[in-house]
Amino acid sequence: MAQYDIIVIGSGINSLVAASIIAKAGKKVLVLEAREKIGGLASTNEFAPGFQCNAIYDTLKWIDPRIIKELQIQSQGLELIEMDIKRIALGEKENKHIIFHKDPLLTSDSIADHSREDSKKWIDFTTHIEKLTKFLEKLYQLAPPSLPDIGLLDALSMRSLLGPLMGQGPQGLVNLARTAPMMMPELMDEWFENELLRSALSTAGTHGLSYGPYASGTGYNFLHQHLHSKGIIHNSSSVKGGTGAFPAILNNILSSNNADVRTRVKVTSINIKNNVCEGVTTLEGEEILSNQVISGLDPQSTFINLVGNQNLDPSFHTQIKNIKYRGSTARIHFALKDMPKIEGVNEDQMNTVFSISPSMEYLEKASDAVKYGFISENPYVEFSIPSTVNPEFSPDGKHVLTASVQYAPYHLSDSDWDQSSKEQLKQNTIQVLEKKIPDITKLIENSVVHSPKDLEDEFGLTEGNLNHGEMTLDQLLFMRPTASSSQYSTPFKNLFLCGPGTHPGGGLHGMNGYNAAKKVLKG
Amino acid sequence: MPSINKYDAIVIGGGHNGLTAAAYLSRAGKKVLVLERRHVLGGAAVTEEVFPGFKFSVCSYVVSLMKPNVMRELMLPKFGLELLPLESTFTPLDGDYLMRTADGDQTYREIARHSKKDAEAYKRFGPLMGQIGMAVRPILETIAPNALRPSLSDMLAAKRLLDHFKTLSNEQFEYLTKLMTMSSADFLDEWFEFEPLKSTMSASGIIGTFMGPRSPGSAYVMLHHYMGDIDGAFRAWGFQRGGTGEVSMAIARSAEHFGATIMTEASVKNVIVKNGRATGVALENGDEYISDMVISGLDPKLSFLKMVEEKELPSDFVRSIKNFRIRGSSGKVNLALDGLPDFTCLPGEGHHHRGAISISPDFDYLENAYDDAKYGNFSKRPFMDIILPSVLDPEMAPPGKHVMSCFVQYAPYNLKGGWDDNKREAFGDAVVNALARYAPNIKDIILHRQVLTPADLEDTFGLTEGNIFHGELTVQQLFSLRPAVKWADYTTPIKNYFQCGSGTHPGGGITGSPGEMAAKKILGIH
Amino acid sequence: MSYKNQFHAETQLKLSPFFDRTSVLNESQEWRRWSGYLSATNYELNHENEYFAIRTKAALLDITPLYKYLIEGPDSQKFLHRLVTRNINICKVGQVMYTPWCDEKGKVIDDGTVQRLSDHKFRITSAEPNLEWLEHNSVGMDLAISDDSSTTAALALQGPNSRDILNAVAKETLDDLKFFWMKNTRFGDIPVSISRTGYTGDLGYEIWMDPSDALLVWDMLIEKGKPYGITPTGLQALDISRIEAGLILLDVDYISSRHALIESRKSSPFELGLGWSVKMKKDNFIGKRALEKELKNGPEWEFVGIEIEWAQLEKHYRKAGLAPGLPSTAWRTSTPLYSGSEQVGYATSGAWSPILKRYIALAHIKNGYSKEGTVLDFELKVEHFRKLTPAKVVKTPFFDPERKRSCPA
Repeated sequence: MAQYDIIVIGSGINSLVAASIIAKAGKKVLVLEAREKIGGLASTNEFAPGFQCNAIYDTLKWIDPRIIKELQIQSQGLELIEMDIKRIALGEKENKHIIFHKDPLLTSDSIADHSREDSKKWIDFTTHIEKLTKFLEKLYQLAPPSLPDIGLLDALSMRSLLGPLMGQGPQGLVNLARTAPMMMPELMDEWFENELLRSALSTAGTHGLSYGPYASGTGYNFLHQHLHSKGIIHNSSSVKGGTGAFPAILNNILSSNNADVRTRVKVTSINIKNNVCEGVTTLEGEEILSNQVISGLDPQSTFINLVGNQNLDPSFHTQIKNIKYRGSTARIHFALKDMPKIEGVNEDQMNTVFSISPSMEYLEKASDAVKYGFISENPYVEFSIPSTVNPEFSPDGKHVLTASVQYAPYHLSDSDWDQSSKEQLKQNTIQVLEKKIPDITKLIENSVVHSPKDLEDEFGLTEGNLNHGEMTLDQLLFMRPTASSSQYSTPFKNLFLCGPGTHPGGGLHGMNGYNAAKKVLKG
Repeated sequence: MPSINKYDAIVIGGGHNGLTAAAYLSRAGKKVLVLERRHVLGGAAVTEEVFPGFKFSVCSYVVSLMKPNVMRELMLPKFGLELLPLESTFTPLDGDYLMRTADGDQTYREIARHSKKDAEAYKRFGPLMGQIGMAVRPILETIAPNALRPSLSDMLAAKRLLDHFKTLSNEQFEYLTKLMTMSSADFLDEWFEFEPLKSTMSASGIIGTFMGPRSPGSAYVMLHHYMGDIDGAFRAWGFQRGGTGEVSMAIARSAEHFGATIMTEASVKNVIVKNGRATGVALENGDEYISDMVISGLDPKLSFLKMVEEKELPSDFVRSIKNFRIRGSSGKVNLALDGLPDFTCLPGEGHHHRGAISISPDFDYLENAYDDAKYGNFSKRPFMDIILPSVLDPEMAPPGKHVMSCFVQYAPYNLKGGWDDNKREAFGDAVVNALARYAPNIKDIILHRQVLTPADLEDTFGLTEGNIFHGELTVQQLFSLRPAVKWADYTTPIKNYFQCGSGTHPGGGITGSPGEMAAKKILGIH
Repeated sequence: MSYKNQFHAETQLKLSPFFDRTSVLNESQEWRRWSGYLSATNYELNHENEYFAIRTKAALLDITPLYKYLIEGPDSQKFLHRLVTRNINICKVGQVMYTPWCDEKGKVIDDGTVQRLSDHKFRITSAEPNLEWLEHNSVGMDLAISDDSSTTAALALQGPNSRDILNAVAKETLDDLKFFWMKNTRFGDIPVSISRTGYTGDLGYEIWMDPSDALLVWDMLIEKGKPYGITPTGLQALDISRIEAGLILLDVDYISSRHALIESRKSSPFELGLGWSVKMKKDNFIGKRALEKELKNGPEWEFVGIEIEWAQLEKHYRKAGLAPGLPSTAWRTSTPLYSGSEQVGYATSGAWSPILKRYIALAHIKNGYSKEGTVLDFELKVEHFRKLTPAKVVKTPFFDPERKRSCPA
């Protein structure tokens, strides 16, 4: 006799969204989280006495509008802080930065300091990108069709794509087909000449990947980062109270809908009998029965660790084994004694995101490290100071600086991720930061490094990949996570997936969870 | 003008695709003139006696992708097409080697020496790639539809392809998707564990392409090379007796047999365009030839940015052509040898001299080579695909002597500081040094050396940036997008001006396919 | 008249540890490739004596080229139980099971024997290399798989006198060794394992040993076997006897699903006459779900024995002015079988059975035409022209002597 209609494994944004939607539909839902608190990659943690940080994401790029509407998360208390300045790409020359504003005209002005020609093209570029993302916005709301023998129902379900198609004509689709497989230099060659601008844009294309800008498919990733951005490049917003406020609100929704959320419960097995999922077993040995199980974990954790090889058909096993993770992004949180100063940046501009990548070649060279399994000597560093947005993150007058660092490959060829490699990564990062914040070393009073290995240990991310699988063209749409399980379902009856390892991939947008919930509810 | 100068069709460029188009048009009764800038025919598929007694397939060096129906319809065997099989691929390593031959059992054992699992997987891999190749072939043999304003026949063609795709098994479709998007290294990693096997196989994914084996997209190039078809056997590479130029000559003889006129040392200056129509060509020497149509076998950059004035073309088209990626990344080193290279890992003369020799010991080696080029240098330790044509065809060199053809990557067209004589020689030295690591006697047996950088390939063969495929084989430059959307069916925005080079669908290699399909499009057969 | 003839060639083929003996004995110098080994086709100029050695005396065959894998570790039973269609949980130490194994779609990958060497140690033999498949399906299990193909040499001693010969050589009697069981014993000081298995359908044994002992074992058997008519035997004779025994051969009678390019080339165990080996009561094994479905709907094909009827065959030849032409060796060319004007199957291997004096073949027949006694038309070429001649579906094995299974009282 099942105790629950649905068990959701994990409590990241997607799991909580899926659970909320299903609980709202009147089902009895149980959420199981292995860590002591919910939120997964959207958590906010104390990393040093008195200092808090956003574990993975300092800003949200976009949230599925359907979630905002259906769960009314804003009236439930989610407060997004929209900055006027979205990002500052720090230039090599002291105060010549490119400032990406919310208002593209202001951005264009900032670019004009670097290149008149590029400045003139800016508005056209943002329009171009906005048009391309329109297709993806629609596509992301769908379960990908099952190919190659696409059925009539599948085809009909894709009719929402007709909207942008009518608006833009086939040229729109052709542009998308051209742009998605591009490498960033190709896209940039078609638009811009200024190296800082080209590089600053390329960082969106390489965000979270193990590849550099010279990899085809970075064009797609660039678009992925810009959904629902209305053409605002590098669009993002912060969450009042820290990113962790988002899962907290979803948790409230869950409890008001009668769902149980249990933390510190580690699922050790998804129980399968005759290819049917019957529930889960926890580390303590508790067996919990449910009609259906949704896993928010990545495919490796779900199928290899929890379902178990013995239950996988050999070819499915091969598909799962072949998913590429390769986490290459590290997070370093610095507790600072004071507000850092950056030449050419006003104090009131410190609440944005900064990137240090003077050229595409710089970025590409940083990425070469992944191929050979070492830590980038001159890494790409993207940082923000979340304590400017949420002062409660640090004691008065002090600040938190969090850096996302690429590339720190999970697989190191000559060593493990031990203290000394983490120290090396930190030093490489500090040395990059020093160029812009000369007294950074003096400001640091504490710090913590999260290598991809740490992220794996802490959050159960296979190889520390934040997207639960690389966002490369071969692992998208009907291939995500595998060709045989791309519609949130699995080869096992009553077992579903809702994590970033499914279409449409990673980020705190909740779309995977929403789509999965709809799939489960449809039965 | 005397009427003798009036033709039904003029083909610019006597490369193998231009000649193929000319042959097909002549065969259909058209009066055709082929104009070749150089003194020899063949374009990049050319044989030249570079040093007295030593003949080289100067540029393109193996044949595998030639379409069987082209060979039959143009009666190429009658006109001299004679393909000798390259029976093995030999990868020298430090202290060992990897050898794959035409004998399945032997190959199994050879690979099993290094990895039994790989040996088993290899048996399944080849046939699978063959199946995928078969699945892709209908695409290659379809004139790419206009994606913007499809005609009825475009839609029918698209429908046929969709129906065809529905016949693929899920497994095949999955692999096809992977091949279209992945890096060749990743694709092979899913199959094999022995690195020299993977790196050597991945090498066909980088040939002619400015990518490393770990670059996404390289798997497609690997597939493109897997579609080789000699005598119906997939993936069989062959060497043309007398050098690759003889393939071009066979096509030329066929074209002449059907009545075409072929002129060499006839350099076209531009296409004459009147009222948006091509009406003929003007030569550098001032001569003009009038024709009902002009077909360019040149690459898209030359066809549209040099042969005609920009004002004759719509601006979005010009933009597309300017954006067309055509980065040269390879060079060629041709050696005249006093004997055979003696490999430390497999001393003496043997089967391995009769096939391809691949300098591709591991992925890092190839990636290092790529990294050099990515940042504007030629590879210090380059990847090489080598054959010894004189072993297969003794007439290529004086008795007892040999010719060696080294296809080399990477040599970027845009070398930091530009190419000059010193850099060319330094590049040649890098090649010889990389060879000497495995065959130390090489330095002692070199009689002559010809080094061709991408800049040389551009100067000599008119290949923009020295790109051997007339444009990179990346997903966004294939099919309906090659070379530009709306103009992927061999037509151009200028009436009566057509294109038939490797820069059109289905791309590069000695296939004859663009030439054939362009001619058939013109003749309205498709 | 015989000629001393020495053949020397640098060969890239593998040589079995018995090659020093077999190469000298091979009067015909006819060799075949078997798994990359040079294997004798027949030793004498004609295989007939070797065939009759199998049926009336004792034939000695070098079967070293078989692929062999050792599976060792606490999970080895669990692993094999999931891998193959038969119930390995009931396989006792010292027991041998013949079994196919399938992919998840229930199509046969290979067939061979599983020997239980100890509680946690098994040997599995196969026709093709299977290491990749074995390893892929053992990920995460507590066991080790090692390729035993070249670390164990093997001989088959087959025929009515085989037991007597072994009793003369081995330390222990073989009288109590039952069909599909094995025991460890010694030949002098040499440790060997003997299984009562074979590929001839006759009384017979297979002897497993360290390759360094191979020549000594060979010599002892030949010496002690002489009075019993021991005869080195090649693959030609073996092929006839395995057809008589109704035993399938990979790449001849079926194609491994791992290598079949198209679905129609694959076969389920039911389609190969191996339904008896599929234990549906097992909780789980690879291919079970697909086979359940197939069982419910009935297999599309059946694998049967056919006998080409003599009378009409003779008539066809008489019409051409010839005595009945019979195949002198086993054939392996796919041959069509018709029912009326419809082709309903094909024979994949066949032979004239010298012991039964019947022309027999193994065939794939569409379900519905495969019942015993059904008469089909077999395509036959008589003097360059195709004829149809009746062939009847019959039970296999065609030849099944009582001595195959029995033990001396």
